[in-house]
Amino acid sequence: MADDAMLKLDGVTKSFGDLDVLRGIDLEVDKGEVVCVLGPSGSGKSTLLRCVNLLEPPDDGDILLEGTNICKGEGKDWELDFVRQRVGMVFQQFNLFPHKSAIENVTVAQQTVLDRSKKESTEKAKALLERVGLADKLGEYPDRLSGGQQQRVAIARALAMDPHVMLFDEVTSALDPELVKEVLDVMRELANEGMTMIVVTHEIGFAREAASRVVFMDEGVIIEQGKPKDVLDNPKQERTKEFLGLVLEH
Amino acid sequence: MDFIFEYYFDFGLMGDEFGRVLDGFFITLKLSILSGVLSLAWGLVLAVLRQLPGKPLAPVRWLTIAYIDAFRGIPLLLVLFLVSGFLSAAQADGSIPREIGIPTWFGQTSTFWYGVIALTVTYGAYMAEVYRAGIEAVPSGQMEAARSLGMSHGQSMRQIIVPQAVRKVIPPLLNDFIALMKDTSLVGVLGAVEVVKAGQDVQTEFFNGSALVLGALMFLVVTIPLARAVDVLIARQQARTSRGGTGGGGAAEPAPGGAAGIGHTGGPV
Repeated sequence: MADDAMLKLDGVTKSFGDLDVLRGIDLEVDKGEVVCVLGPSGSGKSTLLRCVNLLEPPDDGDILLEGTNICKGEGKDWELDFVRQRVGMVFQQFNLFPHKSAIENVTVAQQTVLDRSKKESTEKAKALLERVGLADKLGEYPDRLSGGQQQRVAIARALAMDPHVMLFDEVTSALDPELVKEVLDVMRELANEGMTMIVVTHEIGFAREAASRVVFMDEGVIIEQGKPKDVLDNPKQERTKEFLGLVLEH
Repeated sequence: MDFIFEYYFDFGLMGDEFGRVLDGFFITLKLSILSGVLSLAWGLVLAVLRQLPGKPLAPVRWLTIAYIDAFRGIPLLLVLFLVSGFLSAAQADGSIPREIGIPTWFGQTSTFWYGVIALTVTYGAYMAEVYRAGIEAVPSGQMEAARSLGMSHGQSMRQIIVPQAVRKVIPPLLNDFIALMKDTSLVGVLGAVEVVKAGQDVQTEFFNGSALVLGALMFLVVTIPLARAVDVLIARQQARTSRGGTGGGGAAEPAPGGAAGIGHTGGPV
């Protein structure tokens, strides 16, 4: 086992009833790496992310987070705590808390989980919201924010917990085209600052310039992976070629 | 024709007995508000117990469901007899202390307290179902987001799910409160002199139903504004949702059908 592996998946499987969604995933992510996961819908990309933070505990296989196996005790409390203190997640549908303002969305977990004082958590939230370009929206409620703004609040909310790894689950797929860039810009900046990130996305452009590695998945397995220019420009596998053909055509 | 008018609308009698009927109505109000507040709280406790995650807590869920099903299916009048009968018999037997068997707390009669208990036990079950509808109407992505931030199931319920759920169900809870208020009249059967019993006493004394009509009017003074308030709240909610709330539905890739169910073994969500 590589000692500097932030995350290591070993033979991870997951099925829902008869549907085998993940059929043996091996993947290593080093500290500071930005891994973009591509693949057709239904290929298991989102489930992979949900397994990593135990929203869906894997059926089989091991996941090592900073060297600690988090799949031993079937969702024991300490495993959940261990994972969720280290892994932040951003969702396709934002999932902001609609009854809380932007800043409260960013402070609530800091106060309940990390026991940060109101003052400390508010300062942290302000700094983060400023960083994602929302300094003027602190008191706004989610239904008064655009999709892009909501998603940026969601990123700030996850960052407030000081995660070591960030998971992005098709975070721009529910956005109007003109709002995609503002979210990707935030993610690009985060990547430049050295955050370890796993990004499930359909944004080939983002993968090309921001990813340190691209992983292509289909039908619950990793088909191929490598440097963006290798996978995206010279794919070796037929299925990767097909998929990229379809995505890049239009 | 004159007889009908005099039997129901003898304003002289209404005036003479107004104080007596109003005293009864105060009892009705006290019963309603106390039982209403208690069943709101008890119903929420039941609803939350019913949503506890994980396998080890399955018996708690089953017991809660059994309780809710039982008390939604039994007439309130029967519960009243069960409560009053049991408590007075148990204290006569010496199994429970007198101040619990025949409670006269805060200067209220024991029948008043039997009524509060029976109403809370029954309406708690109704309101638990209303809360449940509200909790289940909160998109699953809300719980996932809260849990992914490291909040426990309890913290997520308290901070994120329940506040949203309660907002959604205020109108149906108010409707239940109106029903509860009307059902306080059943406590009169035990002998509590609430407004219906007071009206009935006047009726048997004077062979005239005007005091009952007076009691009905007192009810309407409270229930009609409440019903209108429900309408206003619903209209406001509809205006808000049609404006489009936040993107909510958790669109997980292959929607894992059974994963969120009651018997979910992994259960970290």
